[in-house]
Amino acid sequence: MNALLRLASVETKLFFREKQAVFWTFLFPVLMIWLFGAMFGNQKIEGFSYSDAYVPSWVAVQLLTTSLFTLGTTLTGYRETGVLRRFQATPLRPQVVLAAHIAYGLIVFIMSAIVVFVFGALVFHLNAPKHLTSTIAAMALSVCALFPFGLLLASLARNTRTAAAVSSLVLNLMMFLSGATFPLSIMPKFLQGVARALPLYYVIDLLRQTWNVSPIADHMTDVVVLAGLCVVSGVLAARFFRWSSEA
Amino acid sequence: MDMAIVVNDLHKSYKDKAAVKGVSFSIARGEIFGIVGPNGAGKTTTLEILEGLRKRSAGEVSVLGFDPEKDGRSLRQRIGVQFQSTSIQERLKVGEALELFASFYERSGDRAALIDTLGLKPYMNTQFNKLSGGWKQRLTLALAALHNPDILFLDEPSTGLDPQARRDIWGLIQQFRGQGMTIVLTTHYMEEAERLCDRVAMFREGAIAALDTPKRLVSQFAAAKCLTFTSAEAELSVISALPSVERAHRDGDAVWIYAPDLQEISRHLFAVAHERHWTVEAFRFEVGSLDDLFVNLSQEGETA
Repeated sequence: MNALLRLASVETKLFFREKQAVFWTFLFPVLMIWLFGAMFGNQKIEGFSYSDAYVPSWVAVQLLTTSLFTLGTTLTGYRETGVLRRFQATPLRPQVVLAAHIAYGLIVFIMSAIVVFVFGALVFHLNAPKHLTSTIAAMALSVCALFPFGLLLASLARNTRTAAAVSSLVLNLMMFLSGATFPLSIMPKFLQGVARALPLYYVIDLLRQTWNVSPIADHMTDVVVLAGLCVVSGVLAARFFRWSSEA
Repeated sequence: MDMAIVVNDLHKSYKDKAAVKGVSFSIARGEIFGIVGPNGAGKTTTLEILEGLRKRSAGEVSVLGFDPEKDGRSLRQRIGVQFQSTSIQERLKVGEALELFASFYERSGDRAALIDTLGLKPYMNTQFNKLSGGWKQRLTLALAALHNPDILFLDEPSTGLDPQARRDIWGLIQQFRGQGMTIVLTTHYMEEAERLCDRVAMFREGAIAALDTPKRLVSQFAAAKCLTFTSAEAELSVISALPSVERAHRDGDAVWIYAPDLQEISRHLFAVAHERHWTVEAFRFEVGSLDDLFVNLSQEGETA
């Protein structure tokens, strides 16, 4: 337990020592919201006001970015430079390493989510969530689904460059096809079908719905899909965890 | 004798290549045991099997009574490891690194004393990537020793260090032994093995070519019966014909003569040199070192 807390706090400290990474992690979603706000500012998107539709979805994108880049890249980097190998020579268990990284990712994500909400409220008149507990539950479930997913991709990637390439592909695909940036209703049927195969679609739907419409219990499809993703990628991430990059 | 490590007929193959082929040795508690040999001789593989980081293909291994493969986690509570090229998180500060690694172990050593011994105090707030090679090595040594382990495994602890830093590391290793730790190290530097180790195992192509105290290894293998001098005129055919010369060879002006009795052969050499008006300079008996043994064994390996 002590090792877990120590490792999580060290990783968080190290994240804040990379000043540039910190700057972009927190600024990127704000910039995107501002940019898309300039494009869609006065339109209704699928029945919601701009900020009510997009602030929750950018929080979802931010969650994906954190799991792919903040968590995933750190872990692949550690594997490549031998940091994990060094841990392997101690009594530390792989689950503790993964859990510590999840805890650190959670701290970073919560901070960036707060930045996004405050910015949305100040600049785009974001309404408070209609179902606060449901929204919080939805976010917790989304974290449980996407963090292990990011760690799994990191475990499967051969090196940092592959990890970065795969992560960028996954991020861009999901960002444009899951309704985070462009409303799905303007897309052809075929792409709407593809969207339903992407985890981010369910995260965005669940966050938007609980924020604006109805409690989490009304969205069991989203809940089941995300819970499933959580279990499957969690098990696989632990199964495919590797201490070093050699086969 | 109380054994820290017992290895019996250890084998390890990667896919189709055998890296370790039937190695057996035991290491007593409190011993400094050196593993030397050329790159690819199986040193690091053997070490990693002892640490429980690699699975063996065959053979028996017991480290502090544990089978590293089965009880790896319990074993790692009681051993400390320093890798060849260790990296910890780049921006981690020395003090944070010590605290972090201390949290991994049930046991705790006297951290303040360790920091003192290693002289790390002025660097406690320095990030790992700002440390010089020697200080990085000191920190990773501290991380290996901070839970007061029973065995310290050091993989090339002084590679890439300047001579002063290397001597400092040797001093520290001896201090750790003084505190009762058993030390297993690999090295390329024969000087390191001679100065530091109680016993040395010479690895060649995945097997032990020789295993003994450095002194006895030298007297058995390396103290070749050999003398050397330089002379422009000396003729190899004449020298080879002198009584009891085993072999002689030259490289430019430098000549080497191998014979069982060097004093005897010296008298003959100077007599013939006097007769034929050869100038003999830089005459001396070659005293063997582990370096010679190392080179000899490596070359034997190549021709075998």
